[in-house]
Order: sequence, then C-alpha cells, then structure tokens
Amino acid sequence: MERIFELACAFSELPAVSGQEHIGMERVAELCKGYFDSYEVTSVGSFIGRISCGKAGAKTLLLDAHIDEIGFIVSEICEGGFLKVVNIGGIDPRILPASEVLIYGKKTITGIFTSKPPHLQEKDELEKPMKLEDLAIDTGYSKEQLEEIVSIGTPVGYRSPVVRLQNNAIAGKSFDDRICAVSILRALEMLKEKELPVNIAVQFSGGEETGYKGATTASYQIAPDFAICLDVTNAYVPDAPAYRKDIKMGGGPSISFSAQTSRKLTIKAVETAKKNGIPHQLFAEPNHTGTNSGAIQTSRGGVPTVLVSIPLKNMHTANEVVMLSDVYDTSRLICELALSLKEGI
Amino acid sequence: MIERLKKYCGCISPSGCEDEIRELIIQDIQQIATRYEVDRMGNLIAFKKGRKTPDKKVVVSAHMDEVGLMVKYISDEGYIYFDPIGGIDPRVVGGRRVVIGDKRIYGVVASKAIHLQKKKERGMVVPLEEMYIDIGCDDKKSCEEVVSVGDVATFVPNFEEFGDGLIKSKAIDDRFGCALLVELMQEELEYDTYFAFVTCEEVGTDGAKQVAFNLRPDIAIAIEATTAGDVLGAPKSRYACELRKGAVISHIDGSTIYDKKLVEYALATAQENNIKCQLKNVIAGGNDASAYQRTAAGARVLAVSAPTRYIHSASNVVCKDDLFEIKKLVLALLQKGF
Repeated sequence: MERIFELACAFSELPAVSGQEHIGMERVAELCKGYFDSYEVTSVGSFIGRISCGKAGAKTLLLDAHIDEIGFIVSEICEGGFLKVVNIGGIDPRILPASEVLIYGKKTITGIFTSKPPHLQEKDELEKPMKLEDLAIDTGYSKEQLEEIVSIGTPVGYRSPVVRLQNNAIAGKSFDDRICAVSILRALEMLKEKELPVNIAVQFSGGEETGYKGATTASYQIAPDFAICLDVTNAYVPDAPAYRKDIKMGGGPSISFSAQTSRKLTIKAVETAKKNGIPHQLFAEPNHTGTNSGAIQTSRGGVPTVLVSIPLKNMHTANEVVMLSDVYDTSRLICELALSLKEGI
Repeated sequence: MIERLKKYCGCISPSGCEDEIRELIIQDIQQIATRYEVDRMGNLIAFKKGRKTPDKKVVVSAHMDEVGLMVKYISDEGYIYFDPIGGIDPRVVGGRRVVIGDKRIYGVVASKAIHLQKKKERGMVVPLEEMYIDIGCDDKKSCEEVVSVGDVATFVPNFEEFGDGLIKSKAIDDRFGCALLVELMQEELEYDTYFAFVTCEEVGTDGAKQVAFNLRPDIAIAIEATTAGDVLGAPKSRYACELRKGAVISHIDGSTIYDKKLVEYALATAQENNIKCQLKNVIAGGNDASAYQRTAAGARVLAVSAPTRYIHSASNVVCKDDLFEIKKLVLALLQKGF
C-alpha cells in the first residue's frame, strides 16, 4: 500500500491536460523506468511500454489507463494579470472560486481562481448557475510580465498535492485516471517474479477526456489480442442515483458489463476475482461506458476488452478521493487475470 | 514580518479557539513586552513602555481569530455536516480541503461529480447546510473516533509567495495584523502603547468589546485585512481598495464612521513620510474599531488595513509591499504620537 501511495503522489502531479500530454511525458517515462523491455511515446500523446513473455507466437494483452487530465487552457491574457480560461473536459465551476491552479507556461506559475467579493455580489446571485466565464485566474503578475510567460492555449491544471485521509483513503487531483496507471504499475511489480503466459503492452493513453483519441491510435499501433481497460467510476454518494448504491469505496474494483466490452472476458474477470478472493463489485452500463473501452474494443479487427474501474468520489474535482485498498485489489485482479490468459479466453 | 506571518497563518485558530495562535504570539512578545496578560475572553493585551508617557491612552489592535467551520452532525455514512464560523461565502467552500480539530484530521468538502448532477443542479451553489466533509470514514462510529460534534475546522494552511511580490494563504485576515503588532513591539517606541490581540472578531467583534471595556483607551487603531475588489471585470468605483496601492484608510465602512481628525492625521502622516496609502471607496465590511468606538465611554478610532483579495477563503491574497507600507505608516503614527 505504501508503494501505491508513493506512486499515486507522483502520478497525480503529472502535468498532462488533455491534448498537451507531452508536457508530462518525460516524467512518465522516468516513473516507468525498469518496468518495460521497451517503450515509446506516440505522436498523439500516449506512452506505450512493452514486456515480452519470450514465447514464440504469444498473444498480447493490453493494459490501458489514460494519462490525460481535465483542466483548462488560457483564452485571454487580461489587464491586472488575470487570465481567462476555457475548460478541457467536464469541469464543475462551483468548486473553482479561490482554488489554486498551476499554469504550465514558459515556467510553471501559481494561480488563484477569483471569487467575487461580497460587496460586489447581487442579491439573487446564489439563485443563478455559476459559469466558468464569470471567473478568471489571478496570477499576481502584470499583463506585460504575464505575456512573457503564457500565451493563448497554455494549459492550466488543478494544484492539489495528495493527502492521506482516514481508512487508507487519499485525496488529490487527477486520480481519474492516474490511479489506474498506478494500479497497472503495481500489477507489473506483482507479475515480475511470475512466468507470463502472454506479452504485455501498457498504454498510458492521452486524450481520453476529449474523445478517446490516444486509446484509438495506441491500440491500433499495439494490435493487442485482448485488453483490460482501467478507469475510475463514481462511488455512491448522498443524492446520487440509486443504481450506484452498490459501488462502494473499499469494495474493490468494479467490473462492468457493457456492449462496449467483451462479455466472455468480463465473466472471466469476475471468475478470476472470485477464485482468488479479490473483493470486487459489478456494474452495468449497457451502452457507452464513457471510457476507452469502446475505442479499444473496436480497434482493427476487434479486441475483446474488459472494463475494470476503481471507485472514486468527487470526480473531476481537485480532491478526488480513492482508497488504497481498492487500488491494491485492482492490481491483484490485473495480475491474476493476466496469468489466467494462458488458455486464451 | 513575512516569516512571522507565515508562521501565524499556519495556526488552526477560528473564533473561540484562539489558543494556538495566542501561544505563538506570547512566545514572540514575552521578551519585548513590558508586561502582558490574557483576559477572561482569551484576549492577549500587551503593554510596551515608550520613552514618554502620553496624555492619551493608545491601543493598537488586531484579531487572532479566523473564519472556520464547526462540526454539527456526523451522519450514519460517516460524513460531517457543519456550520460556518464567521461569514463564509458558500462558493469558496465546495471542493476545498479542511483540517479538523486538535487531531488535525484532513477532510475534503465533498462535491458531487458533474456526471452525477441533474441538469437543474449544474452550476447551482450548494447551501452550506447541505455540504458535508468527507474524511475517508464510511460510518458514524469510525468518524466519531477522530472527530466530535463541536470540533472546529479551517482551510488547510497553504502560505506561499507567488506572482510578482504577492502572498496567498488562508487566514491572512487577520494574522497579518497580529504579525504587524509584534513587529511594532520590536521597535523602540516614543510613547507607552498597548497592543491588543483580540478574539472572536469574525463572530461580532466580541473580544475587542472586553478589551475596550477593561482598557478604556482614548484612541484605538485596528489593523486589519480588508476586501480588495480589484478583480477582473469589477468597476473601479466598486474596488473598495486595490493591491499594490499601499495602506488602506477607511472613512467609513459597514459598521463604523471613523474619527475624521484621525483619518486626516493618518493621511497627512503618510504624505509627509512618502508612504503609499489609499482610501477605501466602498461602504462595506467592518472590524474591531466599531467595538472600541462604542464600548464604555467610547474611543476615537482609526483602521489601517491591508488590501486583500478573496478574503475569508482558502486563499487570501495580499501584496508584500502593501504590508511593509502599513508597517511604516503605523510606526510613523505611533512615533509622532496623538
């Protein structure tokens, strides 16, 4: 678990707003050192690492987690050193006022989202929806100084170093989907001493939050025989739809049934979890899963894919919460499922 | 002053729970104060002998408390519901990190994922009474082992310099005032002066009322952090005050009409000494000056404030140079005498 926490801290802080993953790629390669026989960074911002099992004609299992994060890009540099931004991916403006961000310009600088002073607020303001357009980012520089550091299009991300909560829960930014990258690396550590029945290819794909383009292209390049797509899923919270009540924090990875995944591989995953006593939960999302699973499954001539998700709260905020035990159980499931593939599916 | 401010901003001391900050201040002043005492309300009153004893009793005052949250109810799911301590805009609470109680338990003010929100919920601010803190517990019992009803919380300490000479932190309101008072006490003063570090300003200037009653000053100067409205899109006429324009002097705010002669004296002193200074141009807010003005037979009052953006949030923002100008101005006033 300590190892997972360490990796979670490192992966969480990667600067990789969707579409500008290249900024974080060097660091990704550093963090992946020692895990792979070979690796490459694709032209559309994905990291691909490969491990060969050394067997002639062996099949390839793809493990996917997206490395991009939601965030913003600068749309205007304003008087007084304020920046206007537009969102990249789904952002809730309600959590932004007075929050901290990092602006990845020529140098990385701190920014604070503005909040309207009480004396400027109108009486019925709380009755109206908040909009990102009404906020700006305070950088503490003058407009002229700022123009030397940032430009239109500069990416901006949340700033939220990982902290530990009770019960092995942790809070931080971009666990969607970096925590799954962590679960993959931890699984590879578990597999290190084992005899692999298949080759393993890992894709830390870019561009998931903005249309799955990293997974689409990396899967094409890898041409795997089957895939485990790893993403996060909303755990139940008060007032969430009732059908989420069985997605619990600490309940282990959630395995999805969907038309965007392979039923056969999904059932195999469930059986593997049961056989090995790995806590897990089931989720049904018949149509779009909102993950890379569809893009991977339909790659080339088709790739049987299973979607495994880590329960998470406060998705897309600067304080996403996950439990280390769920990450660990997800790693175990990846490990056991990979080992079980010697008979194919 | 900046190092001291950082240290003070790190305290978890919302109104009514000022012990931590008071202890730090006592450590810093015990060698330099002529004498000091802590009164029944928890106010810390220090006296520093000057070269002369003036005709008028002067107190410089800053408040030790900060806005915060108090634990009200722990639900069966282990979530913590709370009330604000002092005035907090719900818009700066959602999704923020807090630290709770003496055990310093970290928590996150939950915010429902955008994917789970109904259309009519989108963008609508959640009222404080419907927000809850998640500390990672999944039931009431485990939560109650570390957090109890009545525990207090604040935003997480996050002091840092950024931009061109700015600082962001929780609680600059009014740890800046506290840090400044200690800096002033380190100077060789011309006149005997009282320095009051008061409690409970954020819930109604309650501490200052007792200090005013017990001390009966002739002149009280409140050192505060005041809202700067110089944010993008705000009209200049509604700025109240601006960063980088120096000490803020108020003619009038939401609770006090200041002593005209003192205001003019402060402005003239600033001019004589080439100290940057600005007038607050909006009638809003309030501070301990109102308590000094109205308690017992009253006192003549002045407020000298630091222009502060995003006050009462997780990230108050001030300019270092403004803080230095304020120190120069208040010191010049004290040395000149009244």
